[in-house]
Amino acid sequence: MSNAAFNDASLFHAPQEESHAHDSHHAPPTDPKICKLGMIVFLCSEALLFSGLISAYLVCRQAAGCWPPNLGDGIELPPMPKLLTGINTVILVASSFVYHFAEEAVKKGKSGAGWMLAAALMGATFVGVQCVEWTELYHEGLWFNKGGVYGSSFFTLTGFHGAHVCIGVLLILWCFYLQVTKRFFTAERHVALMNVGLYWHFVDVVWVFLYTILYLI
Amino acid sequence: MSATITADSHAAAHHGDHGHGHGKKGIMHYLWNTDHKVIAMQFLFTSILYVIIGGAMALAMRWQLAFPGHPIPVIGHLLPSTIVSDDGSLIPGGYNMLVTMHGTLLVFFVAMPILIGVFGNFLIPLKIGAGDMAFPTLNEISYWLFSISGVIMLASLFVPGGAPGTGWTAYAPLSSFAKYNGTPIGQTLWCVSLFINGLSSLTGAVNYITTVITMRSPGMSMFRMPLPVWAIFLTAILLILAIPVLSAAAALIIFDLNFGTTFYKPEGGGQPLLWQHLFWFFGHPEVYILILPAMGFASEILAVFSRKPVFGYKAMVYAMIVIGVLGFIVWGHHMYVSGMNLTLSAAFGVSTMVIAVPSAIKTFNWMGTIWRGNIHYTVPMAFAVAFVSMFVIGGLSGIFMAATPIDLFVHHTYFIVAHFHYVLFGGSIFSVFAAIYFWFPKMSGRMFNDTLGWIHFWMTFVFFNLTFFPMHNLGLSGMMRRIADPTVYDCLRQVQPLNVVCTIGAMGLGLSTLPFLANMFWSIFKGPKAPANPWNSTTLEWTVSHPIPHGNFVTTPTVHHGPYEYSVPGLEKDYLPQNEKAPAHVTLEAH
Repeated sequence: MSNAAFNDASLFHAPQEESHAHDSHHAPPTDPKICKLGMIVFLCSEALLFSGLISAYLVCRQAAGCWPPNLGDGIELPPMPKLLTGINTVILVASSFVYHFAEEAVKKGKSGAGWMLAAALMGATFVGVQCVEWTELYHEGLWFNKGGVYGSSFFTLTGFHGAHVCIGVLLILWCFYLQVTKRFFTAERHVALMNVGLYWHFVDVVWVFLYTILYLI
Repeated sequence: MSATITADSHAAAHHGDHGHGHGKKGIMHYLWNTDHKVIAMQFLFTSILYVIIGGAMALAMRWQLAFPGHPIPVIGHLLPSTIVSDDGSLIPGGYNMLVTMHGTLLVFFVAMPILIGVFGNFLIPLKIGAGDMAFPTLNEISYWLFSISGVIMLASLFVPGGAPGTGWTAYAPLSSFAKYNGTPIGQTLWCVSLFINGLSSLTGAVNYITTVITMRSPGMSMFRMPLPVWAIFLTAILLILAIPVLSAAAALIIFDLNFGTTFYKPEGGGQPLLWQHLFWFFGHPEVYILILPAMGFASEILAVFSRKPVFGYKAMVYAMIVIGVLGFIVWGHHMYVSGMNLTLSAAFGVSTMVIAVPSAIKTFNWMGTIWRGNIHYTVPMAFAVAFVSMFVIGGLSGIFMAATPIDLFVHHTYFIVAHFHYVLFGGSIFSVFAAIYFWFPKMSGRMFNDTLGWIHFWMTFVFFNLTFFPMHNLGLSGMMRRIADPTVYDCLRQVQPLNVVCTIGAMGLGLSTLPFLANMFWSIFKGPKAPANPWNSTTLEWTVSHPIPHGNFVTTPTVHHGPYEYSVPGLEKDYLPQNEKAPAHVTLEAH
């Protein structure tokens, strides 16, 4: 095979003639194991992002002495709705299992689209309940800029996590769309499905931590 | 697992595909390209732009410190009105803005992208025998995130209020209260820019880690990897663990400034000191992010031009790992004056001094590498040796400051400024220069001009020391950091001549980049054609000749031994490339 096609692939000199060497669209597909490792490394950095936010919360909480903190203006800060969010937590964690069933179905050569849609709907339900909760807390006098660091940290942490859940729901819906319209994922080839799954499980695990520190203790 | 992308597989993929998928012509070739070598060049040229801007800012600051209140020549009238008054002289607030922008630009937009973006991209696939990065498109996205973040950072100069003046450390509550800093928009843009820059670093780091772990060619075990690859691999791990914490902390500043949250505000129950903890939890690993790749380049260049194996290859790797781990438990040494508990500061002091051990291992190994070697005096070798000596000076003053009693005295003085310029400029940037000269023949296919290179080296070396060594004395004489006019303090008037010396040195340092840039841009187009392996080096990148095709290697190379087999007894030539088998009668190093 001649290598002449690459002779103009210089770094500093623009190619003088048409070349096919600079187009990566037709590069061989990346090994699934490589993709998975890349996703895991990315999720490590996500874990550190949440660690930073959680430690900021814990530092402020530790320094406040009592929680909700006493801001000295006589306003009673509302407690967190443990029960409603507890049910919400169960829904979110369950959605991880549902998504896992979708992956298992695809690995067996089935469509799995139903499971995907179910997981996306459960994720969307979680976001919906969070919105309801945000609204209620807002009416009880808690917001980003109200209730001191108690409000700030609650809305920032749940906000960051909620944004991650929203992205996850969109990714799952995208997988669902690809599967329904093109039957994109097969038993042999389902890298994106697997990586979205890793992300989704990660988001759920983060929520278990957030629920524990923000609501329970 | 082995690399699947080779120049052949690319060619095969293109053979049945002449209808579409045309290569890009002209400028698009450089704007969107997933080839790791082109991305490295994108990072290099963008960073050169930022180093010129950031360097000019430093010169403006030095002018003000030597000749307070005098109009700044040349660049005075280019700066926005938030920084200079009508006659072109700096105003005090503008001086703070320049301090901030100079520090931020040089750390995040020059040192990091050159060390990691340029050489990580260029060297990793070539040195481990891979065709490209694991995720080529993500790689290009990383470059564009970097570019966009730079534009946002520079835009903060031109918004109402001007650029932030809070230093590259942006301590809260100064940075988180609009009424204190007066630059809420600039500060927000600063945070947004660093957030996006962090995303760029993270996507890059994901790529480097995945590539190093999964794409090594057959026979390239981890302990056969060249030291620059090890260094960038470990740096990428530090990036993954440190950068997100800065992103989180910067996000909280954005919220405090714009949405009324109270993370750093005491009246809402927040903690101003929280910023310092989060920032330095990132900031100290960042120091090693900036020095580890530099150490890796220097190790290799010293070995090549001493014609000897790296002394203690494994010790070098373990030392870098230890430095990386310890880097995460020493951040408190930046905060001794924050009212920290003395027992805690003693603990941070001890853990900081422990880092001297792996650093000394590396320094002695560099000396062992060149000891009784057949030393070739070339420009990259000169810069690498200068790197070692400057790093030792900067490292030793670092041990001073690790001791709390001394730090309480020198903190916030020019002693600190001298220290971190010795490690960042004398360390990282000297090594960057060494690396640029060393790999220039591989990047451009041409040789640089030796005379201009030597002029550049001597100017840089002399003027660097002229600029920064007197700062030790200034600091010990009590000159504070971040003051726009030292002459208003009685106690500092007697050392004002030293400030003038520093400024003369800084101007020389600015001029020293001219032979460098002239050399580079002339040699890229007009330099003599370089052979494939001009330095008789052993690692894989020297086995491919210019122009290197997309996909790098025509066939995936097989590696037979470690990276630094120089002057092996019994061999005719004094080096043995990694892809060549040693003859049966020759015994190699253990790895």
